[in-house]
Amino acid sequence: MIAAVPFQYTKTLGFMANQGRGFNNPVDLAFDSAGVLYVLNRAGPEVSSRLSYKRVTVCTLAEDYLGEFGAGGTADGEFWWPSSLAFDRDDRLYVADEALNRISAFDQQGRFLGKWGAAGAEPGQLNRPSCIAFDQQDNLLVADSLNHRIQKFTKEGRFLHQWGGYGDGPGCFNMPWGVALDADGNCYVADWRNDRIQKFDAAGAYLADLGCTGWESSPGDGRLHRPAGLAVDDQGSIYVADWGNQQVQVFDREGRFIGALRGDATIPSKWAEDYFAANPDEAAARGKADLEPEISRDQERGGPEYEWERSANVEKLFWGPTSVKLDPAGRIYIVDSLRHRLQIYQRPE
Amino acid sequence: MAKDERALMAHLFRRAGFGATGDELESCVAQGYETTVERLLHPEQAPALDEDVLRRYHVDQNSLMLIESSQAYWLYRLINTRRPLEEKMALFWHGLFATAYGKLNHAKAVVNQTNTFRRFGLGDFRSLLLELSRDPAMIFWLDNKDNHKDAPNENYGRELLELFSMGIGNYTEADVKACARAFTGWTIANAAYMSLRASRDSIWPHGRLDWQFVYLPEDHDDGPKTFLGQTGPFNGEDVIDIICQQPATASFVASKLYNFFVSDTPDEAPIQLLAGEFQRTGGNIRSVMRALFLSDFFRSEAVRLARVKSPAELVAGTARLAGSHRFPEWSIVNLAMDVNFMGQEILNPPTVEGWHTGQEWIDTGNLVERVNAAALEIGDITQPGVRAIIRRMREQGADLSPEQLVDACLESLSLYEIEENTRSSLVAHVEQDGDLAFDRRGVAECAEQRVAALLQLIVATREYQLA
Repeated sequence: MIAAVPFQYTKTLGFMANQGRGFNNPVDLAFDSAGVLYVLNRAGPEVSSRLSYKRVTVCTLAEDYLGEFGAGGTADGEFWWPSSLAFDRDDRLYVADEALNRISAFDQQGRFLGKWGAAGAEPGQLNRPSCIAFDQQDNLLVADSLNHRIQKFTKEGRFLHQWGGYGDGPGCFNMPWGVALDADGNCYVADWRNDRIQKFDAAGAYLADLGCTGWESSPGDGRLHRPAGLAVDDQGSIYVADWGNQQVQVFDREGRFIGALRGDATIPSKWAEDYFAANPDEAAARGKADLEPEISRDQERGGPEYEWERSANVEKLFWGPTSVKLDPAGRIYIVDSLRHRLQIYQRPE
Repeated sequence: MAKDERALMAHLFRRAGFGATGDELESCVAQGYETTVERLLHPEQAPALDEDVLRRYHVDQNSLMLIESSQAYWLYRLINTRRPLEEKMALFWHGLFATAYGKLNHAKAVVNQTNTFRRFGLGDFRSLLLELSRDPAMIFWLDNKDNHKDAPNENYGRELLELFSMGIGNYTEADVKACARAFTGWTIANAAYMSLRASRDSIWPHGRLDWQFVYLPEDHDDGPKTFLGQTGPFNGEDVIDIICQQPATASFVASKLYNFFVSDTPDEAPIQLLAGEFQRTGGNIRSVMRALFLSDFFRSEAVRLARVKSPAELVAGTARLAGSHRFPEWSIVNLAMDVNFMGQEILNPPTVEGWHTGQEWIDTGNLVERVNAAALEIGDITQPGVRAIIRRMREQGADLSPEQLVDACLESLSLYEIEENTRSSLVAHVEQDGDLAFDRRGVAECAEQRVAALLQLIVATREYQLA
């Protein structure tokens, strides 16, 4: 944690695993109505021996591993560049795929239900859908990143509406990544290459934006670098995975900076504890190591590249945070993509 | 525009970069040869690659944990860099200071080393050797983490002299021992934990941890040493200073640069000219490279197409011509695998001696791989570079005779020094289908395919396999 913020780190969930209990480059997370976690593993590269790493892992907050489904491929129910997932009101899970330009639907057991989507730039077509979120009418908003727009579809894939277009003016986008909704149905978009968050009403009319290009080692002025996923709580506070700055920034409903998180994963996950119990020599060597080394490389350059290097060295820090999700108990889940885990914080009452 | 000016510029870009398209050549010829050389020598003046977009789409290339991902990452850089000489120098130093993933089990550590080559590869050789000696991948690769005050390990000290700076015959066994002692205490942070992780290829619990250089004064032997005739309580910096003063070092670096940038066949006079520039400038590599590119021996037609392209040069150069992989696509990993199949696993050279180059790049198996991979890239008429080639031909308006078509295709691939029997074979092949016409209804698509097929045939020629 790099600023005094009213959020308490509570735990780390996850472990690097190519298959089975653990994650491999998780990029997004969704909860079903019972609060079970579905973690989307993008993994890579796309070579045959590694395609099985791509999957959805199902587990609980208490780190009970419930199973997994899906694999790398292009057949029904398979993933190539899975990017985002979301549950509808009927507990059906939708998964977006940026390489296949399609949305696939599954039940809670991971059974494939159907798919829709076609590549292209026409209304209703997709070019690297990077994030999906359901609105209050249970329609699906899609960040259509390389078409620089937001599209709205029915759950069955019928095109309803779009807004945006390439640019840096109000209401325009440059490769948007994350999309989220607040309790009033307003839509927030992480405008990735414009380094800002834009707010729209439910019909897509531009309302406001926050953030500006930059980086800051002691944040407080809303400088973002390539924001990815985001979430909005019932108070209207906005949680942004500030991917390029390797942190999460939090803003109040007026867009004022509240605080920033940089990662605190000092307590091993239960799954990691099991690993060290089975490999006591490695645990002993780790116990003697300095896990927060000073680094020299890129220090003189500063900025996002230095933060990226710090994260490569200091294991507790976020590295490539792609998504933020909230649960009804006030927990904040940060998908710590390059560290194959979730870091979980608690919002005060 | 004079054809010989374009031919010379094409030669320059094959050597100082990864080839150039017709449009790029035209623009550079207009600027002039010397100006272009100077621009190449100052890569920092060109925009850096946008790594964010690469890291966004290739999540695996963001952490660089896996070797395939890291190879694909570098190949993307080779294809898309606007600083071609920076990447070419990185490839050169990577071949000379060959450090392999296979022993390290840490791909990003090798990538970090290539970043050092990008930063210091055109600077002074002393700084480069110093950075190399502090490079964690090198420290791990040549066991300097096991080089202790009371138990020296000579591996790095020996290779520094034999393979990285002077060459065998220019030092004694006692110099090797003194050199090793000077580098005691030069190690990596958390060496025990990192060594254990590397030995079992541990990626647990949360992926790789980067390595950092540390100097441990308590583990350094600061006693007197005699090294190459000089005596003192030398540390690593002092040893590097002495190495860089040696005429043998100048000749060694010059011969390696000549071999990589000029010809597979050594030639003593030009090598000594480069060595002289090295000595005159205190080992400034940029000055040596300037002297090389501006020399008569480099511009000479005798050295054009006198080197066999390395697999990385062949694949990156063909993709640049085709205009493929200009934006992150998952298929870049397949292209990187092609480079492996041709015998050059970048970031994972076979030994500390690097790759055997020249004609050893070619055997009956990998020649087929080279031709097939290049033909696949250049034969895709949907790629923007291929479309630009076709567009330029269409803009000529009139039908193209077989000879005109062959010459236009050769020029579009920036291939000027082709042997007459190769050219006549290509013309004879094209003559089977007669003139090429774009403007008649129903034949345009067929004409485009004919162009693509001819481009594929050209990349299969002996000349295209050479740089």
